Amino acid sequence: MKIVKENKNAVDIVVDFLSNGKLVFMATETVYIAAVDATNPRAVLKLISFKNRPFGKPFSIGVTHINMAEKYVVLNKTAKDLYKRFLPGPVTVVSTGKHTVASGVEAENGTLGIRIPDYQFCLEVIKKFGKPITTTSANASYQRRPYKLTDILDNISEKQKRLIDLMIDAGELAHNEPSTVIDTTLDDELVILRQGDIKLKDKNEVLSRSEENTQNIAKELWQKYEEYSGKRAIVFCLEGEMGVGKTIFVKGLARAMGIKEQITSPSYDLLLHYSLLTNHQSLVHIDTWRMIEPNSEFKQLVNDNLINQKSVIAIEWANRIRSEIRKRADDAIIVWVKIKYAKNLTDRLISWGNL
Amino acid sequence: MKILAIDTSCDETAAAITFDTKIVSNKIWSQAVLHASFGGVMPNLAQRQHQARIDWVIDCAIKNSELKIKNLDAIAVTVGPGLGIALGVGINKAKELAIKYNLPLIPINHVEGHLLSPFANAKELNAKFPMLGLVLSGGTTMLCLVKNIGDYEILAETSDDALGEALDKGARLLGLGYPGGAILEKIARLGNPNKYKLPIPLINDVVKNRFSYSGLKTAFVRLFSTIKDPNKQDVADLAASFQNVAFEHVLRVLEFQSKNQKFEIKNLLAGGGVINNIELRKRLRLLAKKHDMRVSFPYTKKLNGDNAGMIGVTAFLKIKNEKLKMKNFYDYDSVDRNPRLKL
Repeated sequence: MKIVKENKNAVDIVVDFLSNGKLVFMATETVYIAAVDATNPRAVLKLISFKNRPFGKPFSIGVTHINMAEKYVVLNKTAKDLYKRFLPGPVTVVSTGKHTVASGVEAENGTLGIRIPDYQFCLEVIKKFGKPITTTSANASYQRRPYKLTDILDNISEKQKRLIDLMIDAGELAHNEPSTVIDTTLDDELVILRQGDIKLKDKNEVLSRSEENTQNIAKELWQKYEEYSGKRAIVFCLEGEMGVGKTIFVKGLARAMGIKEQITSPSYDLLLHYSLLTNHQSLVHIDTWRMIEPNSEFKQLVNDNLINQKSVIAIEWANRIRSEIRKRADDAIIVWVKIKYAKNLTDRLISWGNL
Repeated sequence: MKILAIDTSCDETAAAITFDTKIVSNKIWSQAVLHASFGGVMPNLAQRQHQARIDWVIDCAIKNSELKIKNLDAIAVTVGPGLGIALGVGINKAKELAIKYNLPLIPINHVEGHLLSPFANAKELNAKFPMLGLVLSGGTTMLCLVKNIGDYEILAETSDDALGEALDKGARLLGLGYPGGAILEKIARLGNPNKYKLPIPLINDVVKNRFSYSGLKTAFVRLFSTIKDPNKQDVADLAASFQNVAFEHVLRVLEFQSKNQKFEIKNLLAGGGVINNIELRKRLRLLAKKHDMRVSFPYTKKLNGDNAGMIGVTAFLKIKNEKLKMKNFYDYDSVDRNPRLKL
């Protein structure tokens, strides 16, 4: 692995590496990305094995201009409007793909996410390279967001390290959110798949299309609040009908926290405690579903110790103990998450806000 | 061996006196009992306040046994899995009594208690290991290989909801109250189990080494929402269809695993609250018969739900089988709650 400081001369080095199917890490206005030639199947396979995720999960790509984007996707009016309004910038626009990128880049349903990074170095690389590059974040699945190279290197295996060919060091980036991901392939409405700094609606609301997706959204939400971990208690309050996927959400949260154990429903036990040996953190998973007097029972169960111990707490059916939670709003970070059934069988609308 | 056993792993406050595998007395606190003895309704909160009722339950168990506590050989107590604050009450009380009467204190796993509950009242242990062991309750859904008493290999566990929990949730959805598993069973008898199509969980899973009920639960919520103003027969059909598929999943995993063992399995142990379900017992018996196995349930319904009798029996079996010395059970400080204790 080669590490080079980000400067004008580095552009040619990156282009050379990309042309040879290599895996290159570099900065954008959001996070460090893992870039490969998006049209080179072997390079994409290399990226998949670095990210440690199953084949079939799509990667977004970076281009320099809307005209370049049109070589790879069909842009409808909605998409064109978004390009005009937001790009370059931290927005990824999902459109119907033209199947001109390597297999494994487009989603299984043939859609493809494109962004134009608002970052000079990255734009110059793509321009000179003349082909799109992958712009997926440079961390392995469920690892912390990469704002500096050590965020990546400290959290991956030796095997993963060996897959990285070149790193362009731009120092520590401003801690911006990853891009907002917007699906434009449905005619009737825009669908937000990931909520970054740019908001299109007056609330934080994203669409999950699968259980894996819901877990991933939980991970992203965790990463928004991770900085408070150990300093304040963080309470994820889950509200949503039976069977909507509250426990699934907690599975994703636990995975993002680094908990390896199987998360099961705490409905019967009321409270399940998972400890992380590495950093003395713990996840407390509570369910009020079968409590008869939930407010007083919750009070007895948590005894405020959990808040004082700055634990991460996930509460299913939190709406049943709203008043007890509200009382702790001064001492803890409270994230209220609503999960709702949506149009398609596996679709869920997930919204959140602070209490 | 005469044992006082205590279990406060979750909702129930339970104490029992056992003599080897025999249950001499088996007291379980329930709201009904409390109403009768205190003449009033306790606040619901007290359901989890084992503290208030543990002495009374232990006294009853001892009184019913017609034994004296000083004549006992040991105390056994559930240390997990369960709710930490609830487990703590039973453990503290057990320690207090162990110190006071200078008795050995034996820590027991609640799930192992359910697993070995079919051995209650067994005259002699001429059981042929290995066996299969199935525990189905509100908090546990687990199939294991019982190589011997104390030597288990988990073959399948739930990756989300427990079976008993899923049945309770299905019942609540149908407006049958909580805990509704037992009512669901009654109503299901009046329904057509094939009326509605629900997905059998993990039907295409080739290894069948886990259970899952969250997908079925979601499908049931979806199905229910499509039925406008369900009448009594609709509810019965829904209950029957849901229960049918929930059981079918258990049976498929069980059948797959029973055929998939290195050794021929002749015996199946089955315990836990859901084992009270008659339809499930029937289907377990049929499956066992098909594979030339014998299935053993606890001899009385009371031993299926949470109780301390099974804890006393388990303590005896472990001591006897593992040839443990009583003198090793005087280190009271080492006995502590373990809310997520594994088998």
